[in-house]
Amino acid sequence: MGVGPLGERSPGGATPIPIPFPTRGKGGASRSAKDLVMTDTPLLEVSDLATFFHARAGVVKAVDGVSFSLKRGEVMGLVGESGSGKSITGFSIIGLLDPPGRIERGSVKLEGRELVGLPADELRAIRGKAISMVFQDPMMTLNPMLTIGDQIGLALEAHESVSGAERRQRAIAALAQVRIPEPETKVDFYPHQFSGGMRQRVAIAIALLHRPRLIICDEPTTALDVSIQAEILTEMKELVAELGTALIWISHDLATVASIADHVCVMRYGKIVEAGPVLQVLTRPQHPYTQGLLDSLPSRAKPGAMLARGAGTDAAPPPRLPRQAESGHRRADLPYVVIETVGKRFQRKSGVLRLLAQKAGLVGPLPAVQAVDTVTLSIARGEALGLVGESGSGKSTLGRIVAGIYAPDSGHVLLDGEPVMSPGDRPHKITTRIQTIFQDPFASLNPRMRIGDSIAEGPLAHGLVSRAEAATYVAQWLAAVGLDPAFAGRYPHQFSGGQRQRVAIARALSMQPDVVVCDEPVASLDVSIQAQIINLLLRLRQELGLTLLFISHDLSVVRHLCDRVAIMHRGRIVESGPAGEVYDNPRDAYTKRLLAAVPVLPVA
Amino acid sequence: MKQPVPAREISPVARFWAEFQESRVAVVALGVVVLMLGVAIFAPLVAPQNPYDLANLVLMDARRPPGFVGSAGYTHILGTDAQGRDLFSAILYGLRISLQMGLIAGSLAFTLGVTLGVGAAYLGGRWEAFIMRVVDLQLAFPAILLALVLSALLGQGKMQLIAALAAAQYAYFARTAHGAASAERGKDYVEAVLSTPLPAKRVVLKHIFPNCLPPLIVVATVQVASAIALEATLSFLGVGLPVTEPSLGMLISNGFQYMLSGRYWISIYPGIALIVLIVAINLVGDRIRDQVNPRLKR
Repeated sequence: MGVGPLGERSPGGATPIPIPFPTRGKGGASRSAKDLVMTDTPLLEVSDLATFFHARAGVVKAVDGVSFSLKRGEVMGLVGESGSGKSITGFSIIGLLDPPGRIERGSVKLEGRELVGLPADELRAIRGKAISMVFQDPMMTLNPMLTIGDQIGLALEAHESVSGAERRQRAIAALAQVRIPEPETKVDFYPHQFSGGMRQRVAIAIALLHRPRLIICDEPTTALDVSIQAEILTEMKELVAELGTALIWISHDLATVASIADHVCVMRYGKIVEAGPVLQVLTRPQHPYTQGLLDSLPSRAKPGAMLARGAGTDAAPPPRLPRQAESGHRRADLPYVVIETVGKRFQRKSGVLRLLAQKAGLVGPLPAVQAVDTVTLSIARGEALGLVGESGSGKSTLGRIVAGIYAPDSGHVLLDGEPVMSPGDRPHKITTRIQTIFQDPFASLNPRMRIGDSIAEGPLAHGLVSRAEAATYVAQWLAAVGLDPAFAGRYPHQFSGGQRQRVAIARALSMQPDVVVCDEPVASLDVSIQAQIINLLLRLRQELGLTLLFISHDLSVVRHLCDRVAIMHRGRIVESGPAGEVYDNPRDAYTKRLLAAVPVLPVA
Repeated sequence: MKQPVPAREISPVARFWAEFQESRVAVVALGVVVLMLGVAIFAPLVAPQNPYDLANLVLMDARRPPGFVGSAGYTHILGTDAQGRDLFSAILYGLRISLQMGLIAGSLAFTLGVTLGVGAAYLGGRWEAFIMRVVDLQLAFPAILLALVLSALLGQGKMQLIAALAAAQYAYFARTAHGAASAERGKDYVEAVLSTPLPAKRVVLKHIFPNCLPPLIVVATVQVASAIALEATLSFLGVGLPVTEPSLGMLISNGFQYMLSGRYWISIYPGIALIVLIVAINLVGDRIRDQVNPRLKR
């Protein structure tokens, strides 16, 4: 079976041209014969689907003329950046649109049956049975008040009548199917007793319960760590092959799509701009948007090089001001930044009653979390150190200790021989030479302050600029991070995520720091915006001679930006060394697992 | 890949007002509040009579029903009371005193409560535990009981009553401010200014406090209304204001003895004025609460 004609659909065209996908090209061996009987009629046929949101401000064309078809057992990836309409396409197929969203035109046919315009009760009979869905956040989709077994039972009863004993057996079988160990015990657990990956497995088990012919997964691994993501991806691949279920995998991440899908549709502004077999689209992209997306990925570029699509014409930063008190007692024998035996424990505060009960021996002490466990690291002047770890590894806590936001319980951090925090009972940060850029640009700017004031505030408080020069200084920094200086009077909510992150960078750098702690600065951004911010950081680091502590869970971003890398696991540094060396020859078992879990894009 | 151009510059206040207008009930309620404030402030200009200038009072006109044309030649649209006062004028002057008490006591409670609440959240540790336990203890008693005991202890008088009302109500502000400030303190933007670093005073006043305001404004509107009601209750019971400062509560109390003799208007009309004022303030407060509740945001 050959590759069908591909390409862009004419936007808003009256005659929808469904893109014919060839049947499964790879991994089809495990398919049972029954699936192959009806291969010529598509399982799902979406033609000229358009979903609009009628808001007061106007009509948002979230999905605007999308057509594709899906055969039995096929896996299709739906890729796009935020706002491309990929999730709304999924919701439209399954009929889960909330007002003011409405399917404007087009049709969705499941085995020839039209789903658009079907009454609610008939749609309900299809949802969960013929088509089911897995959402991004498994904590939000499971009811915290019900045991896992009860939730699976409820999903069962939605479409069949089962007895109590059978219910339990089926729930256990469902858990076993998604590789949850000890399903007989786990079936009585509540969602909070499960980890994120386990919860997502439960959500998948519920989706698979009625052997649906199609599962729609909306960013199912985005909230998960990379090693859990790898497990879910492998299991999902095996499960759909085993059950012959078709799968629509919605994601912003090209690499995960590449590792699971046979075909991929790239969406932008509510339209499919390119579609075809995964290998072909990712290795020989035809549409400039797809090419741009691929060029934005740091994993495809030479480490340290500017990313092709993130180029910007930014002004030079304002000249460096002479520092008033350049360390008087500098010690040449110490590295630039010293992190020495730093430890931090988090313990929940216990009240008076709890203390009394503890004294009486009724309850034990509250559990404490050793977030950072005697970490010793050093960073040379002008170096970029990448700190990599999964969620809960303590990397953010360590970053906040270096930045002087948290005081460590033990050990200390020195910059140029000077302590970052004041000694004493209530330690506070004393140096301004270390500044921080945070992950979420929506949360890291004061929503009630004009961004110009946010940027000027620190330099004014520390006398770096006078009140008269402040406006010019702010304008210079806005220009340096690629923003219009006229934006100084605006509030954070008036900017996009990428623009806000630029503001946050300007605020950190306007303090004229020598060291910048970057805590996942690109993790919440779209690929193309991520490339722009990475380029900005690369350029500013070079121009200002900055020393970076770059915290990230994304191994490819760290490799691109950092000279040296330290891998953190459960509060400890398990391995550190030059980036190239660690990536190519990992010595620690955890590092090896982490690197193996990263999905890889096919290379041309 | 172009970045979207930011929307036209709108200050948060302008956005808030545009959203507020979506509820017609709230706009009407706000209008009522503003109107009542207006007539209270300009009572001497609006009222046909100064009800507390004894020279104006004619005992012959006492206890006349609404619509009675008195000896001074104008119509008493709401009737007159036992001393022959024009009730409409008395209500306007009463509103003036009630609103004054509510606003002053409310602001005092706001200042005290917010200082304690935000301070406790910022300081943490022992101070936080101590302040908040005192507040919790006080919240366990009904505000009316505290106000009653305090005003009995302090004696009659405007200042004494304001002190009693503020002391009875600051705890609500302290609780709300503490909750909001604790949440704000852990947010990234506060950590960002802590890592700049900025002086503690600036962090609290410029960053934490302004972001705690939305829930506090809601509490403030509701608490002003409840301070007015509390004051009316105390005055009705005779432990509030002295007879020389008749608030709405005292007007109701004065007319109470005539209720069963058919002269309903002496009590009812001040009562209606009080209810309209409190309901209007609460409706405005409700609207603001809906607006600042992120769960109701579309």
